[in-house]
Amino acid sequence: MLELLATHYAYALMFVLIAIGLYMIIANQNLVKKVIGVSLFQTAIFLFFISMAYVEGGSAPIVPADETPGELVVASPLPQVIVLTAIVVSIALTAVALSLVMRIYAEYGTLREDTLTEVRADE
Amino acid sequence: MSSVDLVPVLLIATPILAATLPIALGLRFDRVGWSIAALTTTGLFAATAFLATVVYGDGATVTHALGDFPQEYGIELVADELSTLIALLVTGVAAGVLAYTRTGGPRGNTFYTGYLLLTGGLLGLTMTGDVFNLFVFLEITGLGTYAMISSGDGPESAVAALKYLILGTVGASMYLLGVGFLFMATGTLNMAELATALPDVEGQGETLVRVAFAFVFVGFSIKVAQWPLHTWQPDAYQHAPDGVTPLIAALVSTVSAYAFGRVAFTVFGADFLATTPYASEVVVTVGSISVLAGSTLAVIQRKVKRMLAYSSVSQFGLIVAAYGLVTETGLVGAVVHLVGHGLTKAGLFAAVAVVSVSTGARTVDEYAGLAKRRPVAAMAMTVLLVSLVGIPPSVGFVGKWYIALGAVEAELWPVAAVIFLSTMLTLAYAARLLEKMYFTPAAPTERPVPPGAAATDGGSPVETDDPDRVTVGMIGLVVAAAVLVVALGFAGGTFYDLLEPFVEEVFN
Amino acid sequence: MVEVVSDPRPIAAVLASAVAVVLIVASHRRPNIRESWSVLAAVTKFGLVASMLPGVLGGVVYEWRLGTFVAGVDFALRADPLGMLFALLASFLWIFTSFYATGYMRGLDEHAQTRFFAAFAASLSTAVGIAFAANLLTIFVFYELLSLVTYPLVAHNEDEEARIAGRKYVTYTFFGGGVFLLAGTVLVYWLTAGVGDPTLAFEAGGIGALAEAANAEPMYAQAAFFLLAAGFGVKAAVMPLHSWLADAMVAPTPVSGLLHAVAVVKSGAFGIARLILEVYGPDLAGDLGVNVPLAILAAFTLVAASIIAMRKDHLKRRLAYSTTAQLSYIVLGLSLLHPYAILGALFHIPAHAFGKLTLFFCAGSIHVETHTDYISEMAGIGKRMPLTMTAFTVGAAGMAGMPLVAGFVSKFYMLIGALRADWWIFALSLLVSGVLNIAYFWPVVYTAFFESEDRHDAKPLLEFPIGGIRESYFGSAPAVADGGTSEGEEEYEYAVDEYPSDHTVPDEDEGDGEHAVEPDHAAYGDHGHDHDHGEGHHGGPPAEGWQRHSPLTESTWLMLVPIVVIATGALVLGIVPDRAVFLELAGYVVEVVTGEVIL
Repeated sequence: MLELLATHYAYALMFVLIAIGLYMIIANQNLVKKVIGVSLFQTAIFLFFISMAYVEGGSAPIVPADETPGELVVASPLPQVIVLTAIVVSIALTAVALSLVMRIYAEYGTLREDTLTEVRADE
Repeated sequence: MSSVDLVPVLLIATPILAATLPIALGLRFDRVGWSIAALTTTGLFAATAFLATVVYGDGATVTHALGDFPQEYGIELVADELSTLIALLVTGVAAGVLAYTRTGGPRGNTFYTGYLLLTGGLLGLTMTGDVFNLFVFLEITGLGTYAMISSGDGPESAVAALKYLILGTVGASMYLLGVGFLFMATGTLNMAELATALPDVEGQGETLVRVAFAFVFVGFSIKVAQWPLHTWQPDAYQHAPDGVTPLIAALVSTVSAYAFGRVAFTVFGADFLATTPYASEVVVTVGSISVLAGSTLAVIQRKVKRMLAYSSVSQFGLIVAAYGLVTETGLVGAVVHLVGHGLTKAGLFAAVAVVSVSTGARTVDEYAGLAKRRPVAAMAMTVLLVSLVGIPPSVGFVGKWYIALGAVEAELWPVAAVIFLSTMLTLAYAARLLEKMYFTPAAPTERPVPPGAAATDGGSPVETDDPDRVTVGMIGLVVAAAVLVVALGFAGGTFYDLLEPFVEEVFN
Repeated sequence: MVEVVSDPRPIAAVLASAVAVVLIVASHRRPNIRESWSVLAAVTKFGLVASMLPGVLGGVVYEWRLGTFVAGVDFALRADPLGMLFALLASFLWIFTSFYATGYMRGLDEHAQTRFFAAFAASLSTAVGIAFAANLLTIFVFYELLSLVTYPLVAHNEDEEARIAGRKYVTYTFFGGGVFLLAGTVLVYWLTAGVGDPTLAFEAGGIGALAEAANAEPMYAQAAFFLLAAGFGVKAAVMPLHSWLADAMVAPTPVSGLLHAVAVVKSGAFGIARLILEVYGPDLAGDLGVNVPLAILAAFTLVAASIIAMRKDHLKRRLAYSTTAQLSYIVLGLSLLHPYAILGALFHIPAHAFGKLTLFFCAGSIHVETHTDYISEMAGIGKRMPLTMTAFTVGAAGMAGMPLVAGFVSKFYMLIGALRADWWIFALSLLVSGVLNIAYFWPVVYTAFFESEDRHDAKPLLEFPIGGIRESYFGSAPAVADGGTSEGEEEYEYAVDEYPSDHTVPDEDEGDGEHAVEPDHAAYGDHGHDHDHGEGHHGGPPAEGWQRHSPLTESTWLMLVPIVVIATGALVLGIVPDRAVFLELAGYVVEVVTGEVIL
């Protein structure tokens, strides 16, 4: 177990990050911080993908033209491509989320969820 | 490459590209969005129908490898018996709902940009043969949905959209995490490749696959709105503009549920579900509890839209439970119910929109005496509710029949009991509405709209009693949904025949 | 021996009134045309059904398939002897009920008549669909639709009582149909799939594959039987699933008459007949031992319901409990499995229908003419409505099983069957219930003919608390037991105007005394449907006593003719049963199913 943790500590860290992100989403009353939590959560997953693709002793997956690819030790390129795509998606999401937060702030004058609940209940 | 192979690509690319047009042309013309959207969705529907003739007529699966990359790395688009059916539903509903939004729905060109983006995302979700690509489309669909929900006038819609955004993103990310584990275990992301690779995974890899399934299931449970992860859905449905709710209620969760079925059966496979301890049990339990919880919550709602939203929770519970049965008939039932429920809910929410546009009624109590004021809408709504309850002949019954049969075949008696009882639970809230519409006299005086009422119920400010705002198109949409729901009730055998090749492949 | 012919007439018979629904709705502005559609559809339907009769009796089965409904099950209609029995009955009685309903609804100036007639035609359509359904799934489809389209009829009055009754009705019938019946159907499908191709199609004498499967899985077969029996039992009002029926009596009387004495409740009884004779078959049912619990329930119901009926003062409610009891005769006869008992049970379907329809028609006629609903207020009403009450007497005699009226023949066969099958206990319950029938019908007849407005007494056995009451019930006993007979001088102070029942429920909106002339007004507490006697209904004789009417002037011909025809029918079935086709059909069914030739 300990050995597993020692060799796979990166994974463990990623999951700690994921947990922190989730906790922020659930427990934080501030809407912006919730959005940050979402970002953290997603970023942790991206890190997870990147670390998964790592090959011990491998270099970046750039194959020079004169080498035979089979002999090169490189990190898997597929997860990196995936993460690139996912980052784009995540940016778009954050942008939409923040614009929604701005609109909520403009309407209700608060960013706190509990206050928001009160304001909405009053109306 | 024949021309048919291009259809799946076009189905996805066209709406996404066309989504830029309303904004671009909007600079010059005022109300061009609707026309573009109508033209695009109608074209998409026609293309899907053509695709369907090939898929069902020739019994061929149409696949398209994007950019001609080999299957291991590239992204495939697959139109098989299952995805074509869902694509038909998506394009049909997307084209149909436009009949409402022309005069009733949110206006403005940007709205139609979102509309087309959403349609494209849904079609991508339907067609993709790659688990990561599925995630991307899941997020595109999500983005479109959040934008559409927040296009309501009131501030409530923004809150609802944000709530959905946060939960939806977590759900999609959970799915992505699951995909990561799958990739770790097999090294591929293509569904077909995964399907062949997964049964051979052994040892530690098996744990990875199980973890992957767990994350995928939780992720989709959020997207499909299964109890207890459903909380975003009632708010989203209720506060979305009236013209948007039919679309998202009919399609977004439906396609997510389809995607879950696709991943569970095509990627993980029936064997995995059946042999992995607690896998199918958990799925069945979550589904069954959703059926019960969703209907119970639906019964106590005062707002009609909210009631129907909770009804969706319970209906999707049926579908998820049907997946968990892991029998051929159960799977057919799930798919039929997906399609049937999508159509029914599209019609129901469109009817709700018609009612609120013309009479301002939004709560169950305000529906009193509706049958006299809007007989056609009330009649169509009755038919749709009856289908929801599962009274034959209606597509709702066909789905329920296969699901129930699947439960009996699996000899899971408690699940079978829940499925049979769900009729009564659905009836409890459906009958409540029917009784109000037909057998409760309208309140003697028209209830004056209290100040601030528009803000509390979040939707667009309500114009009361303005029948002129109801167009023939709106009524036509509702009636068409009702007619279709009944007509498909006679197509139980046809559905089975259409889906049989897919189902047999899955269970072999 | 049985020749199956493909013929569209079964589906045409179903569709005849379905088309009429559309026409009725379309001509909602012209009542005369609207009602003539009803009549036309009824005649057409009866003609279609009757035209198949000679063929069916000659051993032909007309069948029409509409294609696959769900995998392995066709949506198919077939006119076989058993189905003909029910279809012929329902379509024949519908003709006269259409006239009667027209007279009734107009006589009371009811609201929403278009909806009423449309739903009425639709329910007939589904009833004939039930009759002709060729398999369990098709019967389920029509069974559910029947529940659906009769709901508007039950909740017709749109007041709180009607809504509650409607809710109860919907809950009971859909629990029966959507839950029990569907579950049973699925189980049967699954069981037969276990031994070959799944099938749900009815076969005379039982589905072969099911018998095979039942040998392997007796427990599931039993479970399926009980689920199906419960599903049909709800509509057949077998205790403990009966209580919707009495509440459904808030519906207008033609509904109570045709639907809740003929089409709806009989569809339940008919379903049980299908279940026992053509799904399981008497042999398999006997082997599985599933008939005995059903028979016990039925026997209990027929005694208990008769006792309850005795204590109901509201005429329609008394009739409702009588229906509950009579339907259990059918169920009991079928579940005894003896050919004679089956014959009796099958013949009891038309016998009871004719008798009970007469009774309901009479009750409705009394309501329309005098707004009287309670038996205790009917003293001397024989003077006012001689013909109606005579017909009532005929119907009541039929219910009680008096010779020369239809009920006797059927009960006689059932009794023979019970004795031959050595079920003396069930034979006893049949006899006891017969006595009880007289006990609750005779007081009505007696009150109507042999008492007068100012001199009538309470019926101590029926209306007093058990053990009696220390009070003189002659003259001016003020408050007897359940608010029963408010008799004597008091009566004179009550009855105030010609349409007294408008004041039914004091605590609701009753300002609008004239709303009888506003058909669209949402009639609050209309027309004295209160079942609690204490609330102050205002039926009963007018201040000067009942006016004496001749049989020709007591009511409109729209209502009198149907009453006379149906009552005559009950007599014909009783005097020359072998001339009326129903007994022949029933005998033929028994012959096909059990192989025994009785007639």
